[in-house]
Amino acid sequence: MNRDLSPVLDAVGGIVLGKQRAIRLTIACLLARGHLLIEDLPGVGKTTLAHALARALGLDFQRIQFTSDLLPADVLGVSVFERETGTFKFHPGPVFTQVVLADEVNRATPKAQSALLEAMEEHQVTIDGVTRRLPEPFFVIATQNPSHQTGTFPLPESQLDRFLMRIELGYPDAAAERALLAGSERRDLIEHLAPALDATRFTQLQQAARKVHVAPALLDYLQALIAHTRHSPDFVIGLSPRAGLSLLNAARAWAFLDDRGAVLPEDMQAVLPSVVGHRLHIASGTSRLSSDALAARLIAEVPVP
Amino acid sequence: MADRVALGDRVADWIFPARGVEHGPVLLTQRRIYIVPTRQGWLFTVTLLLMLLASINYNLGLGYVLTFLLAGLGVIGMLHTWRNLAYLEIRPGRVEPVFAGEAARFPVVVVNQAGFGRLAIGCDRADAPLAYGDIAPRDATTITVEVAAARRGWLAFGRFRLFTGYPLGLFYAWSRLEIDLQALVYPQPEAGEPALPVAADLDGDSGHRGRGADDFAGLRDYHPGDPPRHIAWKSAARSDRLHTKLFDGRVGRELLLNWNDTSSAMPLDARLSRLARWVLMADQRGFDYGLRLPARDIRPGTGAAHLHACLEALATFDSRANGGQTGAVPGAT
Amino acid sequence: MRGFEPRPLGTGRVLALLGAIAALLLPHATRIPLWISTATGVAFAVRALFAWRGYGMPPQWILAALAVASAGGIWFSYGALFGRDAAVALLILMLSLKLMELRSTRDALVLIVLGYFLAITDFLYSQTIATALYLVTCVWCITACLVAFQYRSQQPRAVPALRASAVMLAQAAPLMLVLFVLFPRVQGPLWGLPQATSSGVTGLSDSMSPGSLSNLSLSDGVAFRVDFAAPVPALGRLYWRGPVMWDFDGRTWRAGESPGAGISGIDTIGEPIRYTVTLEAHEMRWLFALDVPAQIVEGSRLTGDLQLIAGRPVRNRLRYDMSSHLDYRFGLAEDAVNLQRARRLPRGFNPRSVALADQWRSAGASPRAIVQQALSMFRQQPFFYTLVPPELGRDSVDEFLFDTRRGFCEHFASSFVVLMRAAGLPARVVTGYQGGVLNPLGDYLMVRQSEAHAWAEVWIENEGWIRVDPTAAVSPQRIEAGIAAAIPDGEPLPLLVRTGNPWLRQMRFGIDAMANGWNQWVLGYSPDRQMRLFQRVGFSDANWHNLVIALMVATGVVLGALSLVVMRRLRRSATDPLVGAWNALSRKLATASPKLARQAHEGPETYLMRAAAAFPQTREALQRICRLYADARYGPAPSPTSAKDLARLVRALHLEAGGH
Repeated sequence: MNRDLSPVLDAVGGIVLGKQRAIRLTIACLLARGHLLIEDLPGVGKTTLAHALARALGLDFQRIQFTSDLLPADVLGVSVFERETGTFKFHPGPVFTQVVLADEVNRATPKAQSALLEAMEEHQVTIDGVTRRLPEPFFVIATQNPSHQTGTFPLPESQLDRFLMRIELGYPDAAAERALLAGSERRDLIEHLAPALDATRFTQLQQAARKVHVAPALLDYLQALIAHTRHSPDFVIGLSPRAGLSLLNAARAWAFLDDRGAVLPEDMQAVLPSVVGHRLHIASGTSRLSSDALAARLIAEVPVP
Repeated sequence: MADRVALGDRVADWIFPARGVEHGPVLLTQRRIYIVPTRQGWLFTVTLLLMLLASINYNLGLGYVLTFLLAGLGVIGMLHTWRNLAYLEIRPGRVEPVFAGEAARFPVVVVNQAGFGRLAIGCDRADAPLAYGDIAPRDATTITVEVAAARRGWLAFGRFRLFTGYPLGLFYAWSRLEIDLQALVYPQPEAGEPALPVAADLDGDSGHRGRGADDFAGLRDYHPGDPPRHIAWKSAARSDRLHTKLFDGRVGRELLLNWNDTSSAMPLDARLSRLARWVLMADQRGFDYGLRLPARDIRPGTGAAHLHACLEALATFDSRANGGQTGAVPGAT
Repeated sequence: MRGFEPRPLGTGRVLALLGAIAALLLPHATRIPLWISTATGVAFAVRALFAWRGYGMPPQWILAALAVASAGGIWFSYGALFGRDAAVALLILMLSLKLMELRSTRDALVLIVLGYFLAITDFLYSQTIATALYLVTCVWCITACLVAFQYRSQQPRAVPALRASAVMLAQAAPLMLVLFVLFPRVQGPLWGLPQATSSGVTGLSDSMSPGSLSNLSLSDGVAFRVDFAAPVPALGRLYWRGPVMWDFDGRTWRAGESPGAGISGIDTIGEPIRYTVTLEAHEMRWLFALDVPAQIVEGSRLTGDLQLIAGRPVRNRLRYDMSSHLDYRFGLAEDAVNLQRARRLPRGFNPRSVALADQWRSAGASPRAIVQQALSMFRQQPFFYTLVPPELGRDSVDEFLFDTRRGFCEHFASSFVVLMRAAGLPARVVTGYQGGVLNPLGDYLMVRQSEAHAWAEVWIENEGWIRVDPTAAVSPQRIEAGIAAAIPDGEPLPLLVRTGNPWLRQMRFGIDAMANGWNQWVLGYSPDRQMRLFQRVGFSDANWHNLVIALMVATGVVLGALSLVVMRRLRRSATDPLVGAWNALSRKLATASPKLARQAHEGPETYLMRAAAAFPQTREALQRICRLYADARYGPAPSPTSAKDLARLVRALHLEAGGH
């Protein structure tokens, strides 16, 4: 385990109980400079996880509750007409922060969603013809309720690609749940959480993670995985080159978390379900598999070179 | 020649009875590959015999050299032809659904694990044009065969032959296969644009009304944070208060496409064609549409996956399983 | 057989095919009548233009008309449609017409196969090493065309096709060698008589006039080569007898009818010397042997004037064993009719010579003395041996003996015999070859056309026919050391005959040794030679049956080896020793417990965990192995010895200790 990131994991793990793997994936996602989509039922600790993580990493945190009447300006910020001076002054929106929690992102209209998604993609926003850079590092952790509810706008498939990973938290196990019930209020714990890192240090770690070695044999493996999704009838659409790159970066971050200098096939396999789950579409002819089961099948069918 | 190969196929069937569809990748091992000389191969053989006779008759030492060199070439060519097909791995590719009347494109994925390229590998399926592919060393290529899809439902690729004549064309090596390849054929959409059914099932005005930016809906007082280009400057000139223009983006118009809306006087396939056209129109116009068939109900939705689900339901619609083709939707309210 | 249906051609491929076939036909261009080569050239050019511009092919009836016209033209030119030359010409014309039908790849394949057949027709006319190299190159290109026509992708790919063709021809070469050596040979011809080759073959003829031999001497073509069983006798004793000239018309000597068999009249002394002659085709029936032959070649006969005459003209290179006695007496009891013939001279020619001879005879000299007088005349008066003698008029002998006195061997032999006949002595001219050049590289004697020679034979009572070489009187070097030494510098002697430049000389020997080997082993590999080769390698009972068995065994072995070569990269190979050692671990663990075989999708860490759970005692060793493998395979800087180390660790792993 990486020396710098181990305390972060411990700190967040102390608040979000029984979710070691999800926390690790979240950190790996942020290390790989990716955005994260958490898809789960309300109340399983999505917000807590995001908040605690920002806190432990020493990053600024803002939460935007997406609602159906949310306007793009509510996310990005507005130029307000000031009567006294007769001019417009820009008021930055909540997106101008290091960690943005976009809660229930599928409740807002596509317009509001795309405002956020463009900011995620470009790391900048353009309002009234003026381009403004977002702070670095910049992460979006979006949450989405999985069930089909009326009046929601599920993120379109093309937009899902902008998230490096999609994870599910799921219910805690019995022991964790008991600890949760017995323990104090999570919100208070976060308030008292001491940052283990700061933004500068984290940026350095991101850069170091990019340098994790990738051997030709591993690239062979990655290519074989991608080729399989393109050829196999199990998948409606194969993985795009961008998905391949995402997989590689995520695997690097995972290896870096493990304090290893080179990516192993296992790193690839560890991040694969989260990275490709929301990018793969299951063919209708086959029995309906969950995206996790599909990823497991992909791993099982492609030999490690 | 065709008879002879057909005979070859019969012999092959006798030695290896049709094993039915093979699931997963198929490796072309030695025993699965047959090889015979082509017409050109026989011509070549006869020519070699003539050359041998000429060499004997005229005592041509070099004639023998050339004759035997070419004989060796023929034998080596046979080895190379066989090798060109041997140990290829054949997998089914992903078949995109098509509409009846179009050509279904069956991708046969050919994987070459060897350290040399495979050239001019052909795929021969009855009633389909031949398709060819080249496969680089340690690479895979998809050979796509187009088969006319006449009827809706599942269209199986069936038995086919993978063959090659490369490099000399003097020999024909082939292997017969049947892999898990089938195409979903949607019903052919009705021509023209039949009127969409009246939104009888739309529950009143419950279509979601959100504030979008499509149609002007009115003015309200300006609040800090409203986008400047939405400020109604003309009204600001008239009064000293700022107004913000409101726009009404109507989203989420729902539409239910019902089997019962099609005339029961129409034949089954015509009704399905009409529904297919409706589905396409609804998708194109951005409706939230659902499909109600006897014994099958698809809730309203949008997107490619939804479209596919609807068309698949139409493609695989089985009237007998659903209580007759004129059967009304049970319990439709 | 779908897939072999006609397909359209590509322009590039058509042009390449036209080029390759045109190159194949090129050697025929000068051998066939001009109108055929022109028509063929036009056909190729037209087809190339059509391909370039994408025109359609001409209609069938035009081609049919052209085919009939071609056949008529052949009939007109050759007087026949069949027979070697006519058939070749017809084949070339039909191929040219077939070009106009070249529409699909199927037509192209027919053309290519026809091209292969045409390649062999070139060998009817020339079988030199150069021809072989040229035609193999052509076959290479044509085979590349054959490969190119199998490509299905649109892009014409010349280099891969040429490479594939070269690889396959190279792989075919061992098979060719086996078939060539072991395929049971049959002695041709199987049908008909091969036609005479067209002119251009140089060699002795059955007549001799001033200048004919000196012209022949300008050729450096090889007449025959000789392998001696024993050391080669002195060059001066090597007289290779050819046509014997009996009849003289004042200017030209003719062989005329040879006297009947007279082998009975030969007295020989000592043991014969044995040798083997490889005679080049010369379209005549003489076989050359040293005087006098002690045996005859099968199918030949020995005439009364010691000529060895074959049953039919020598059209192919011929190899025969021969033995000769160099010391002999012959013709003591010569028939009176022959002696009368050997004294005949045309009336009214060469009066001065006749007068001189009369003078010698009336002086009452013995025949020996007359011979000596003639020789001493050549020796003492200013006669010159030269390749460029002056022109001679009607009384050629007179002019040579008394005016010009410059001549080549035919001048000396001819005038000597005329003198002898005029003096009443029976005499005749013998043509043939004298001497030869010993090739030190091949250890054989080569006799070129430039060694062509003429000498005289005189019949003397109680002595028989005696060889007299008047050239030796004038130029002893010619006989002792060869023509190159005898001819003055500056005279036009063939380049390869000159001895001056040692480097040139060496090259000349090298080339001829190669040609000799080629002749002996490629062109002259006859049924007889095949059997002898077999006997030499130890098959005492070399018959057809054994040959077939040997052929099948050898072909099987070579094919097996070739299959291994062709198939070597067919299956996924674990050639990487690192992967090999890693797979060895999987095998080892699988032997201990079948469930522990590594699954295809398991990475090193996952596998380690599973294996270590089963064998907790060996956890550390397993850990070391997996770490080493992971570092070597996926790490940034693998150690060069990691494959070996890994193999060693896997070998040293003991699983029993922790078995479960």
